[in-house]
Amino acid sequence: MHNLGFALDGAWQVLIAGLALGAGLPILFALGIRSLAWGAGAASVTSTGVTTATRRPLGTVLGYALFAVVIIGVLLGLTFIVASGFGYKLDFANLYPTLVAK
Amino acid sequence: MILALVVITALAFDFTNGFHDTANAMATSIATKALRPKTAVALSGVLNLVGAFLSVEVALTVTNAVVKIQDKSGAPKAELLADGGSTLLLIILAGLVGGIVWNLLTWLLGLPSSSSHALFGGLVGATLAGLGVAGVNWNGDGSKLDGVVGKVLLPAVISPVIAGAVAALGTWVIFKITTGVAARFTENGFRWGQIGSASLVSLAHGTNDAQKTMGVITLALIASGHWSDLENIPLWVKVSAAVAIAAGTYLGGWRIIRTLGKGITDINPPQGTAAQSGAAAVILASSHLGFALSTTHVATGSVIGSGLGRPGAKVRWAVAGRMALAWLITLPSAALVGAVMFWVGDTVGGTAGALVVFTLLCLASIAMYLRSRTGKVDHENVNDDWDGAESAPADAAKLPAAAV
Repeated sequence: MHNLGFALDGAWQVLIAGLALGAGLPILFALGIRSLAWGAGAASVTSTGVTTATRRPLGTVLGYALFAVVIIGVLLGLTFIVASGFGYKLDFANLYPTLVAK
Repeated sequence: MILALVVITALAFDFTNGFHDTANAMATSIATKALRPKTAVALSGVLNLVGAFLSVEVALTVTNAVVKIQDKSGAPKAELLADGGSTLLLIILAGLVGGIVWNLLTWLLGLPSSSSHALFGGLVGATLAGLGVAGVNWNGDGSKLDGVVGKVLLPAVISPVIAGAVAALGTWVIFKITTGVAARFTENGFRWGQIGSASLVSLAHGTNDAQKTMGVITLALIASGHWSDLENIPLWVKVSAAVAIAAGTYLGGWRIIRTLGKGITDINPPQGTAAQSGAAAVILASSHLGFALSTTHVATGSVIGSGLGRPGAKVRWAVAGRMALAWLITLPSAALVGAVMFWVGDTVGGTAGALVVFTLLCLASIAMYLRSRTGKVDHENVNDDWDGAESAPADAAKLPAAAV
């Protein structure tokens, strides 16, 4: 059953990539939403009632920064689809992604 | 003449592939009302169309994964061309019919099953009938993940589990992070999260699945001597396959959308975001690594995962179990139809045989379409509550299988 070996070999790589991008990016996105809400002063509803809105610019900036990371991740995904369609592949050998011909 | 029937049938398969798989990308966005149903299918259709044109890679060797009717370069095996390619064309035709019939039947039952497995199943069956056991690529040659086992069976078991794990973890953490955050931030934010991730899935679907039809049509053209270039696909094949899959997607397989979006678990926007992102990441990562899988299995696995990951959410295991059963029998059932179709076509013989097969396909399709008119599911009632509602797919499931 050589196929089982190949499949398991591929499976854990897919799992790692899936966890990093498929769970990681939405988690960053959720953190971004939380930061935005915190930045607008609406993050906490406590037993003493809703705290009045005090703006926290840091939260807003952090929120948008996190969104930017997510968008870059999505753009990388798109680049990957388009590039592999035209015979290129994304190469992460230099840490930053480069396009190389297959 | 036979060639024309093969081309029409291949495009018909592409069309059913489209509407069968709309759900994979859009079911969660429709269920959470992130997008209106019509907007969702239109967006998905356009992205499938774009996706189909994005790839210039030649998917000519698509059948090599499961059957041995082509050599490595994509040219049909020489011994199959001895009779002018008519056996080869009949195998392709019968295989496509097997795929279409199974796609339509599972649609009628509202079950998301894999279109690629249906196509592969049909081809395996037709090849078994036409060339015998040796014509099927069961286990590959040992050098890479290949054959019925490596390209179909193992990924079908593994990929939903991976996608489910990713989506479950994503959902769980997202709920931990966003508990207590005002709804006006989460609602709008995750709405866009869903639309973005669903769009990625649609695009990836267009690039992967339209290719299969293009490969099959081009193979038929080569077998009948109407095309000889192994490096390129005729433009009209590309355009027609892209349009067929986009039109199918736009039509929307509402029954399947309903099962996936409402039937398995009740989804809210953060779950939808986690599920679609998980699906998109798993699909892209696997195609990057050459790990063949079905969009359907991934999307379903991730929806179940998002139900498991959200505290307090329930997964309807009866629905999930019925789908798993459908996955198990997809390959053998489509193979059976493919084999019977080849046998019928071969017995009648020649052009008449192909015509008979095509007529049988039309009759079966019409029968299933008429059956679907009772207990209709469309964009109006796709989001009705699953429990308690007169659910058409559930009723249909109790009926004996429609005549094939």
